[in-house]
Amino acid sequence: MNQADVSKLMSQLRIAVRPTKRNLKNPDGPEGRLLKLRKTVTALVKHERIELYYNRADEARGYAELLISNAIRHGDRHKATMELADYWLLEKQLVHKLFKVLVPRYENSNVSYTRMFKAPRDYPGMYYRKSVLELRGNPYPVLTPDNSQNRNLLHNVLLDEARKEFRREKLANLANKLAAETENATASTTATPAQAPVTETQTEQSKQAEEAPKA
Amino acid sequence: MNINVRILTKSVAQQYAFKRIVTFSTKPTQQAAAAAVPQQQEVTGPTVRKPIVPAHYRFVYPEFLPDPKVEWRNAVREKLERLDMIDRRRQIELPEFYVGSILAVTSSDPHAAGKTSRFVGICIHRERCGLRARFILRNVIDHQGIEVVYELYDPTIQKVEVLRLEKRLDDSLFYLRDALPEFSTFDENMEAEPLEEGAPVPINDIKVVLRPRPWLERWERQNLLGVANIEQYIKDKHRKSAEKVQKPWEKYDLMKQYRATIPEEEQKEIFAEVHTELHTLELQRKRNKRKRTFVKPKHLA
Repeated sequence: MNQADVSKLMSQLRIAVRPTKRNLKNPDGPEGRLLKLRKTVTALVKHERIELYYNRADEARGYAELLISNAIRHGDRHKATMELADYWLLEKQLVHKLFKVLVPRYENSNVSYTRMFKAPRDYPGMYYRKSVLELRGNPYPVLTPDNSQNRNLLHNVLLDEARKEFRREKLANLANKLAAETENATASTTATPAQAPVTETQTEQSKQAEEAPKA
Repeated sequence: MNINVRILTKSVAQQYAFKRIVTFSTKPTQQAAAAAVPQQQEVTGPTVRKPIVPAHYRFVYPEFLPDPKVEWRNAVREKLERLDMIDRRRQIELPEFYVGSILAVTSSDPHAAGKTSRFVGICIHRERCGLRARFILRNVIDHQGIEVVYELYDPTIQKVEVLRLEKRLDDSLFYLRDALPEFSTFDENMEAEPLEEGAPVPINDIKVVLRPRPWLERWERQNLLGVANIEQYIKDKHRKSAEKVQKPWEKYDLMKQYRATIPEEEQKEIFAEVHTELHTLELQRKRNKRKRTFVKPKHLA
C-alpha cells in the first residue's frame, strides 16, 4: 500500500494501460529502452502512421499520448514540457509540429489521440505480432472498412422503415385530399345546375389545375 | 468586436478539431481562419464550472488517494475506506502536517503511567494510503535516538498536535538517523508555534551535518538536498559508483510517472466526494481553536 505520487499531475489517458511496462529486450537497459521508444514516437509524429511490432507500438503509444496531452495541458511556454518534447522528439523540427499542428488538432477532442490496429504478419517470417500505430486525423485513407451503409445494420433498417412509412403517409394524405376535392366539386355542380356557363368553365379550369400537380 | 473575435477563434479551433490536415505546415492558422470566416455560429459549449476542491488538497490529504498499483485497486474497498477515514476524522482532529513537521502524538498505552503516552518528534517519513496511512516520528531522548511508527487512523491515538508546521528540502528524512543528534533533538515540552491563517507552509532549508561513516544507507547516491557534508566523508570510488547508479532519464519516463500517480480526473472525483465533509470538519476545528484561546482562570484556594 504505497502512497500515490502527488508532486506531478497528469491527465487521464483514454487508452487501456498495462499495469506494468515491457522491457523491450535491450542491452543498454532502461535507457536503451527509452531510446528505442523515442525513435518510435518521433517516427509516429513525423509520419502519422507507422507499421511495427505490436509490443513496441503498444509501449510507445502511451508515451506519445502523454506527450501530446502534456503539450495541450501546459502549452509551449512551459519549460518542463519543452524539455520533454526536446527529449522525446529526436528531430527538432517536430517540436514545432507538436505545438503548432497536433495541439490545435486535439485540443477539443475527447477520445484518444492515437489509434492502434493489429496488422497481419508475414508468413513465413518473424512470429512477432505486428500492428499499425497512427495519429488520429492523419491525411491517409482510413484503415477500417466503412460499414455505415450496410443495409442490415439496425439503424439503417430503422431508417428504411421510417422512410417507407413517411412515403405511405404522404400518399394517403394526398389520396384523402383528392377524394375530398372531387366530392366538393360534384356537390357544387349538383347544387347549382342552372348557373351561367362561365362558372362551369371556371370550375373545369380549377379541376384541371388541381389535377396538374398529381400528374 | 471582442465577442466576434472570441467566436472566430472558437470556430477556428473547432475547424481544427475535425479538419484533416493534408500537408505538414507550421503555420496553418491563416488558411483555416480564412476558411472559417463564412460560418460564424455561436457554439454554446458545456459551461465549465469552477472546481470547488482546492488544488492543495492532494498535499494535505495524500492518504485519500489510493495506491496507483492497478492490481491492488478496488473501487468499492477504496470508497468504504474513505468513509471510515472520515468517520475517524469526526472523532479526532488529524491536522495537516508534512515530512519535517514537528508533532506531538498522545496515544493509549496500557503500560504507561496514566495509561497514555505522549511522544514529541519530527516526522521523518509518511507512507501507505487509506486506513493504513502511517508516519514515523523521531526524537533523541536521553542521548538515545527513538523512532515511533504511528498509524494515522489508529483508534488508540488520542490526540495529534502539530507543534511546528513546516517542510524540509527532501521527501523523507531517514538521513537524520546518521546525522548528529542535535538535528533530531526536540524539547518534549515544546510550545506549539501557530502559523498565520492562509500563510503558505514554510520550507526549512536547514542542512544537516552527518557523522562519519559507516552509515545506514549510501546517502551519496540519493541526491539529498538537506545534507551539508556528504563530500567530506566519501572517496572517489564512492563518487564513481554513485554516478553509475544515477538514472537521469527517469524524469522523462512519462509512463513510469503515470503509473505512480493518480490521474487528475480521478483525483477530482475522489476529493469532490470527500470535500464537503473535510471542509466542515476544518471549519469546526477553526471555531474550536478560537474558543480555546480564552482560558478561564482556575479558581484556587
